[in-house]
Amino acid sequence: MLWYKGWLETRSRFLTCLIVLTGFCAVFIHYTQGYLRPEWREDFHRLMLVAHQYLVIIWIISVVLLGMGGLVREKANGSSSLTLSLPVSRAHLLGVRVAIGVLEAITLGVVPWVAIFLVSSAGGMPIQFQQVRFYVLLLVSGGLVYFAMAVLVSSLVEGEYTAPAVAFGLVFLATNLFDLWLRDFNLWRFVSGDFYLDRNSYLFAGTFPWKGSIAWLAVATVMLIASVKVLHEREF
Amino acid sequence: MTNAPVILTRDLTKSYGTLMAVHGLNLSVEPNRITAFLGQNGAGKSTTIKMLLGMIRPTCGEGTVLGKRIANAEENREMRRKVAYVAENKPLYSYMTVEQTVRFASSFYSDWRADVATKLLSEYKLPHKRKVKSLSKGMRTKLALLLAFARRPDLLILDEPSEGLDPVGVEHLLQTLVAQSAEGVSVFFSSHQIAEVERVADHVCILDNGRLRVDASLDRLLQSYRRIDLSFRFPPPEQEFRMAGVQKIRTSGNALSIFASMNAEAVVERAHDLNVVSVEVTPVGLRDIFLETVKEN
Repeated sequence: MLWYKGWLETRSRFLTCLIVLTGFCAVFIHYTQGYLRPEWREDFHRLMLVAHQYLVIIWIISVVLLGMGGLVREKANGSSSLTLSLPVSRAHLLGVRVAIGVLEAITLGVVPWVAIFLVSSAGGMPIQFQQVRFYVLLLVSGGLVYFAMAVLVSSLVEGEYTAPAVAFGLVFLATNLFDLWLRDFNLWRFVSGDFYLDRNSYLFAGTFPWKGSIAWLAVATVMLIASVKVLHEREF
Repeated sequence: MTNAPVILTRDLTKSYGTLMAVHGLNLSVEPNRITAFLGQNGAGKSTTIKMLLGMIRPTCGEGTVLGKRIANAEENREMRRKVAYVAENKPLYSYMTVEQTVRFASSFYSDWRADVATKLLSEYKLPHKRKVKSLSKGMRTKLALLLAFARRPDLLILDEPSEGLDPVGVEHLLQTLVAQSAEGVSVFFSSHQIAEVERVADHVCILDNGRLRVDASLDRLLQSYRRIDLSFRFPPPEQEFRMAGVQKIRTSGNALSIFASMNAEAVVERAHDLNVVSVEVTPVGLRDIFLETVKEN
């Protein structure tokens, strides 16, 4: 039933984000591809990149919001005593929350791209399944770091508005600082496909960067383990 | 069921910086009784309960609940299967309906009694489909109590259970506590409502500034505590009455008012030795015992 609780807790946030993301992507791609001539194949691929970049921005906002909540927020609104009186460990509580969040984050990455694929296919655009898969895998594998960071922040910072404000501040700061000093490790550029896109054809060249994905997933895992430690030590 | 204490603490202490919320608490709560845990706001009652349930860690000392060590996360989790707890603020999930809340809670406990839950839902007149966030304070309290009373735990811990209830609700609560106790459930509850405590408690613990000041059965307290009013023809010699059991002495002119936890006979005898003019020994209620205990500490 912890799954049920997790779903009830996040469903309005998740469904709102899903509708916004999917609706935005479908409408954006439908209208913008309408301005293209069929022979401008490369421009369509560029359009896909632009759509993906918008999608990444909204997706990051969404997963940061989905990462909020949990025991610390419950402490702020007074319901943590009920959760902590259940015969369940804190690690289990967090584990279920993370599992639901990850599934929702993956859904938020896949469904909008399915919408883009269907709208573009219906419009006769040269959309390729391999390219879509590349975009989705980059977004989900790298982007889960943003979700894990949000979970960590929500384990550290109390307050319904303080925690998301800190999380969004960190996303903004990290993106800009890494771009200045450690561009090769800028997560934003990884998830947006900047590192792997051929700037002439706007298609992904080569094989999918599995090593990079695994490395980012490892970073996300470390953040989640840190969240478990923080919650274990925390007093309610 | 064994006769081992359901709650046992030894030198249990919780401090926040220089503030001692709970100070060297040695508590032993016997099974199959209703034990009331009294204290002023900030006396350390909720802090103690939270330590027992593993929500906060003791600074030092140790404790067990149902024989499980409170500081051991795994043992504490195991213990919570057999303990029903209602916190002070009656925590519930605002995004769930009444029905969802009951279904959610029931899934965690093998001692859940669906028939009792259904009966209480009807008695409390709780609207099944309404979200918790739109319930009144009284209804929220009733729902929180339902989640505990629909179980058959070994130990029931309630923190200010009657807060937010109307007189009918309070009456129902007290009757339920007595019924639970009759079924063999040990009850440990904190309250500010002395009259309620006096009606149902078998045993009373009074906490003041984090220290346990009183720990005795209610019967013994009511039998042994006395107020002794003495009148003399001269200013009374206060120091003559400083003896075992004398808690407070107040002098006003030639009159002396003594508050004694025991030994009232010895006080009266000493007064006669000093040629007292009048002696009045009156039994005191729990309210006076509580007020006298916490007044100057």
